[in-house]
Order: sequence, then C-alpha cells, then structure tokens
Amino acid sequence: MSDVARGTLAPPAPPRRPRLAKFGVPLALAGMTAVAAFLIPGFLSAANLTTILLHVSINAILALGMTFVIVTAGIDLSVGSIVALGGVLAAKTLTSGAVLGAVGPVGAALLAIAVGLGVGAGIGVLNGGAVAHLRVAPFIVTLATMTVARGTARLVTGGVPVGYPDPGDQTYALKVAALDVLHALGGGRIPLPGLPGGFPVPALVMIAAIGAGAFVLTRTRFGRYVYAVGGSEEASRLSGVPVPRVKLAVYAISGACAGLAAVLLLGQLRSGGPDAGTFYELNAIAAAVIGGTSLLGGTGSAWGTLIGALLLGVLNNALDLLGVQAFWQEIAKGGIILLAVLFDVWVTRASAAAATR
Amino acid sequence: MALLALRDITKRYPGVTALDAVGLQVEAGTVHALVGENGAGKSTLLKILAGAERADAGTVELEGETMRFATPRDALRRGVTVIYQEFALVPLLGADANIFLGMEPMRSGLLDAGAARGAARRALEDLGAAFDPSTPVAQLSTAERQLVELARALVRDARIVALDEPTATLSSRETDHLFAQMRRMAGRGLGVIFVSHRLEEVRAIASHVTVLRDGRRVFSGPTAETDDAGLIRHMVGRDIEYERLSGRPDSAVPATRVGADVVLDVRGLTRRPRFADVSLTLRRGEIVGLAGLVGAGRTELARCLAGADPWEAGGVLLRGQPFRPRTPGEAIAQGVAYLPEDRKTQGLVLGLTVRENTSLPSLRRFAPWGVLRLGAERDAAAAQIAAVELGAGTLERSAGTLSGGNQQKVVLAKWLLANADVLIVDEPTRGVDVGAKIEIHKQLRSLADRGKAVLVISSELPEVLALADRIVVLRDGAVSAAFDAAEATAERVLAAALPGAHAA
Repeated sequence: MSDVARGTLAPPAPPRRPRLAKFGVPLALAGMTAVAAFLIPGFLSAANLTTILLHVSINAILALGMTFVIVTAGIDLSVGSIVALGGVLAAKTLTSGAVLGAVGPVGAALLAIAVGLGVGAGIGVLNGGAVAHLRVAPFIVTLATMTVARGTARLVTGGVPVGYPDPGDQTYALKVAALDVLHALGGGRIPLPGLPGGFPVPALVMIAAIGAGAFVLTRTRFGRYVYAVGGSEEASRLSGVPVPRVKLAVYAISGACAGLAAVLLLGQLRSGGPDAGTFYELNAIAAAVIGGTSLLGGTGSAWGTLIGALLLGVLNNALDLLGVQAFWQEIAKGGIILLAVLFDVWVTRASAAAATR
Repeated sequence: MALLALRDITKRYPGVTALDAVGLQVEAGTVHALVGENGAGKSTLLKILAGAERADAGTVELEGETMRFATPRDALRRGVTVIYQEFALVPLLGADANIFLGMEPMRSGLLDAGAARGAARRALEDLGAAFDPSTPVAQLSTAERQLVELARALVRDARIVALDEPTATLSSRETDHLFAQMRRMAGRGLGVIFVSHRLEEVRAIASHVTVLRDGRRVFSGPTAETDDAGLIRHMVGRDIEYERLSGRPDSAVPATRVGADVVLDVRGLTRRPRFADVSLTLRRGEIVGLAGLVGAGRTELARCLAGADPWEAGGVLLRGQPFRPRTPGEAIAQGVAYLPEDRKTQGLVLGLTVRENTSLPSLRRFAPWGVLRLGAERDAAAAQIAAVELGAGTLERSAGTLSGGNQQKVVLAKWLLANADVLIVDEPTRGVDVGAKIEIHKQLRSLADRGKAVLVISSELPEVLALADRIVVLRDGAVSAAFDAAEATAERVLAAALPGAHAA
C-alpha cells in the first residue's frame, strides 16, 4: 500500500553494495577460470587468454556505456542497432570513391571513425533528450530508436553488407587500403615479446575505455552526479544537480560507446552489415548486471562491468573449447545471468535486514 | 464485550517508539473517533489493525478472540477494513472490479463478471452512489472513490471499518453524505473508526473519542464528556521540559532581531489550489515557524520558495532583489536552501556516503575542471560534519545506515557547506527521538545566531513554540494568524490552524 512508505516510517535504506558483493563476482570469475584451467589443457595459455580479451572487448565497451545509463536507473536498448547503423555508415564513408579521392585511405579511416562515433552519440543525444526533457520511459524511447536505427541500416544498404570492394573497381586498391587501415584498429595486434600473435588492439581500446570510464565515474563531478541521480532523482534535483543534463549525457556516452564498438567491429570484419549487433544490447545489460550494476540505479562500477563481461567471455570460451553445443551454451549463459541477479537480490535483502536491526 | 479491543499495542521503529502500550475499544454499533496531532501514532495504529504492520507487543481482539493478522488479506477476511486517505484502489479497473479485488466471484473456474457487477451495483446503490459500477476508478471523484471503498467493505461483510481522515478533501455536502453512510453502517451493528483533525466533525458523528499523543493514549471516553478546549489540551499536552531544553531565551524576540534586515520578503504568493495570497517576512538571525495542518499548503509554499515548483502570482524579494528561481539549482546559487520533509527520498541520496551527500550541492567548488579534488572535499565535509556534532567515523558510511536524527544533521551539514543563508526546513524532527530533536533544535538556533534566516515548518506545536521567534499559521492555503513568540500559546496556534474549531 502506497501510504506505508510515506510519512515518518520510510522503508529501510537501500545500502551501498557491501563487501560480499564487491568480491563475489571476481571470486566467481576466478573460480570459473580455475575450473576451466583444470578441465582444458591450454586454457591459461597466453594465446587463449588474449583471444578471450579480444572476444570480450566489443561487449565490454557497450556494457561500459550501458553502466552509465543503468546507474541513473535507465536502460539503453538501442546500442545493438547503433552498432549496425554506425557500422554501415562508417563503411560507406570508408569505401566511398569520392572520400578516398579527396583524403586518401588514412583520411577516410579517420573520417569513418568520426562518422561511427557521431552516429552513436547523435542517437544517444536523441535518446537522452526524450528521456530527460520529454520524460518518456527509457525503455520505450530506446526501443523506438533501436527499431528505427535497425530499419535505417537496412534501408541504406538494401540489406547487404557494405565493404567488399569489386576487384574491377578503379578505386579497388584505395578501398582495400582504407579497409586495411581500419582493420589495424579492429583486428590488429601489437607484437609483444613472448606473446605469439601479439596483443589485440580492440582489447587495448577496451582497457583504455574502461579506465577512462572508471575515472569519470569515481573522480569527476559528473560521475558523482550520475550516482546521485540514480540514487534519488528528487534529492539530487533539490541539491542543485542538473538532472536533465546528467541524463542526456549518459545516453550520449552510451551511444558514443556503441559507435566506437561499431567502428571496431567494422575494422575486424572488414565490412559493416545491417544485421550486425543483433542482441548486443542484451549482452551488454547482462555484463553490467553481472558486474554488480543494479537495474534500480545508484550502484555499479566500470571495473565491475569489465569483470561481468570477462565472466561471460570466459564462460563462452570454455564451453567452446569443451565442445559444448552452441544451444547448450546459451542455456548456460542464461543460468549464470539468473544466478548473478538472484545473488544481487539476496545481498540487497540481507544488508537491508542488517540495516534495520 | 467490545466488538474490537486493541490492548497494549507497542510499535518501535529504529530510534522512535511510535506506539507505547496503546489501547482502543470499539463497541458494535458506534462511531469511535481517533484524534491526535501529526505523528501521534494514529496511522501506525490503523496499519497494525489492518495487518499492514506488525505490533512489537500487544493484542488485537475481535469479539474476544485474539487475532494474528500477518497480512492485510488476513484482516480483510476477518472483517476488518481500513480505508486509507490515498485509497487502495486500482485506478484503471472499474469500480466493480475494485470492489471484488482479491475475492472475485467465480463460476466454473472463470470470473463471474455478471455476478460481480450486479453485487457491486447493489452495494453502491445502497450507499447512494449515482455512477455506473463499471466506471474506471480513475474517472471518479474522491467522494465517489470513498463510496467504492465503503462498498468494498460492505460486500466483504466487514465488522470494523476504519477511515483515515476521510473528510480532508470533501465538500461539506459530500461530508454530510459520508456521515449518513457511516451512521447507517453503525446502525447495522458495525464498529466504525473515524480519524480526523476536525473537532466539529468528531462532535457531529462520534459517540466516543480517543486521543493519542506521542504514541500514548492520553484520553478515551464519551464525546459528550469533553469540549473542544479539552480535546485540544489533550492533543497538545504540556511539554514544559521540552520547551526549556530547546534553549530559546525566555525573553520574547531579542531586540537585536527586531530591526535586523529582512532577507526574504514574500508578497501575496499564490499557487492554486494549494495556497493563495501568502505574505510573510524572514529576517537575518531569526527563526520563523510556519504552523498549520498537513495539507494547509506549507510544504507547497516552501517548494516554490526553493525553486522546486513555480508559482502563479505574487512575488518574492531576496535581500531586496526580485527572486524567482526556476530550478532548485538557481535558488541554491542565491543562498536559499530547502530541507525537505522526506529526508529519505528527497533530503539525502541514501546510497551515497555522508561525505558525498554533504558535498553534493557544493561539488563545483571541489571540481575546478570537473575533476574532483577528493582531499579538499573530504576536509570540507569533515569540518561541517563536526560542526553539527556528528562523529568523524560517519563520514564514509552510507547515509542510509544512519538514524533519522543523524540523517537530519547530515542535511544541515550539507547546507552549511553550501553557504546557504536562507534555510527552509520542513518537519526537521519528524521521526527522530527526543534527544536528537533537542540537538537539532540547538543546531537550528545556532544557525540563526550565526546570521542565517530560518523558516521552520512543523506540525508539532511544541516544536514551533519552542523554536520560533515568530509564528505564522496557514489554514487551507491562506495565512490565518501570525504571532510573536511571547503571545503564542499552543491553544491559540491550534485554534488558528484547525478549520472550524472554537477554542481560546
């Protein structure tokens, strides 16, 4: 009954994430890694570990942006479609004869990166504007932009991937060169002594992004506002926090992260497809939630999200190497997500009970 | 034997005893009034009766049989219905569906909508309702929703019906109709409990009255044996100790404050339908108490002054300059801070630490280029936490783990750090224990002594009397009286606040 929560006798405080939860997910990751290492010879090899990092990087970058949004008690369903739309528009830029003629392969690659990030941030601003100023529910707003962006990606490509140059084309060599430049970002590896094949560039981008995200969330005024808005929008507003601006910014960040992921995927695959990124939004939400971000807002961290993404990555990799059928992998992944959320509910209840005692 | 007997009901919340061995006996066929100031424990008692809260001690007996209500469903099944001010109706469902919610008539495993509609129609007609039973509740007026709740009680064969301030938003014609229905229910042998602030209504409808104060029963008896002045005296009590401890000088308004600068000058401020044409002034170094009942428009006025809501007419001068904040941020930038009534959802972000809460309005100062200087932030927050006499150990605790009194101190520290010089404090001691109350009073007084202007909204008369240099009373959205501390008495303030009371 609504009146129970009113007046003097408010319900117990939702306390900040206690220690148990802080270490629970890293422990689960360590445990899972240990089991995999025991069962699978070569799981802990440098080559396999860097493969996991490479496979995790796109999801982790999407999940980082998602973490900003979820900490404000929002949700962003549009990121998967942004990966597709940003990817195809960047690919069109990259392989456009006119662009290549004017600025060359490196210039075209830089322009393509800007297009990918710009499309993502632009859709993010639209999402954020509708959530912050028109006060539409985030789920609905981003469901709409998710559908519109996917449709636009199919429309501009006619449903086929962009990027495979025709060998008979006059600018064939230029286009291949431009794709090579972007491939160095999305699929390249930096040689490291003792590491066969080198360290994947997208994993470096991911680590840099997570580090930057962690800095913004914990060390900047804006980051503090993100937690405050998610914890109590009204208390934040009455404290002078510019709530609409904060909300707009988190969706813009999530969109820009999706744009970055789009560019990395384009580089990796050497093409941008209108069906790329399907269900990526759900994997990103899963990584953030497993990493300790509460869908109710107010809690979460960039490093936690990285660990959530790694946990999913290790699970996928181990099941792959064990030869488990793809269908069973999906079922296992679902089970892990459920366990993580149940754990979250249990910890929240236990600490709420402790707080009222 | 009484139809309903509550015996020695005790309920404690962290830091507060909401009910202290309270008893209440309701005879079949009577209307029993339950009165008391805000926070006296009436709502808690109703919640325990309804099975929505569990008592720490004491028993609920229905016709001599001890009840154990674990949920509202249990209470409803035994014939106890509590009708809350906000109602427990699902707005998008029809009146008939609401009436049978949770006890839908079934026929061969399916909803029997026809039977429900027929029975709902009969029950509503019986109550003199003129609307179609399938009308969604969202389209009904408050009075009509009340009839839906009463119909629900009737079809459930309720034996006890308790109404929490049912007349607060009704017209006098609607009130008359409601009273007629309450009398008829009593006439059929039900026990009716009526919670109200309006003494003339208590007198009109109730044969018995019980007065609660500070979680204790201070009077219970036939209405005919008391008069309004007596009831007001019971509600207010004589809390002399409380006044002395608050630390207000016994002299009236200190001479230094009389001529002090007017900081905030409110002229004819209007936001219909909440309040209209409200004027008051607030000087440096002064505490003005804003008294009145819940719903008199005090919080709404405060929110306008704080930039949280817009007003439609009138104006405000801040230090002589026109002041019209469009957001709380603008009000804060000009030194006007609002300390809301609901600390837990509006005053603090419970998931943040005490340090983070304290610095929240002042973060710009600790983040020159957006990057926080955590050391400077910690030092500044620690200084203000010490100024409100909170231990340094609390700095990194999350605000949600503190007691109500300590949470309020964090709110004070936060605005001290923000250098606010007009503080609008809404119910500063609601839900905190007596010791913490006195400390908060001391803090507010010392803020005024340091030159801040403080407007205190409080529904607790002893608090207003103990704290304020001047008292302004709001009634139904308008100023009904203003007193200097020296001439204010509990009786006079309450008489000005109560609609239709004829006391002192």
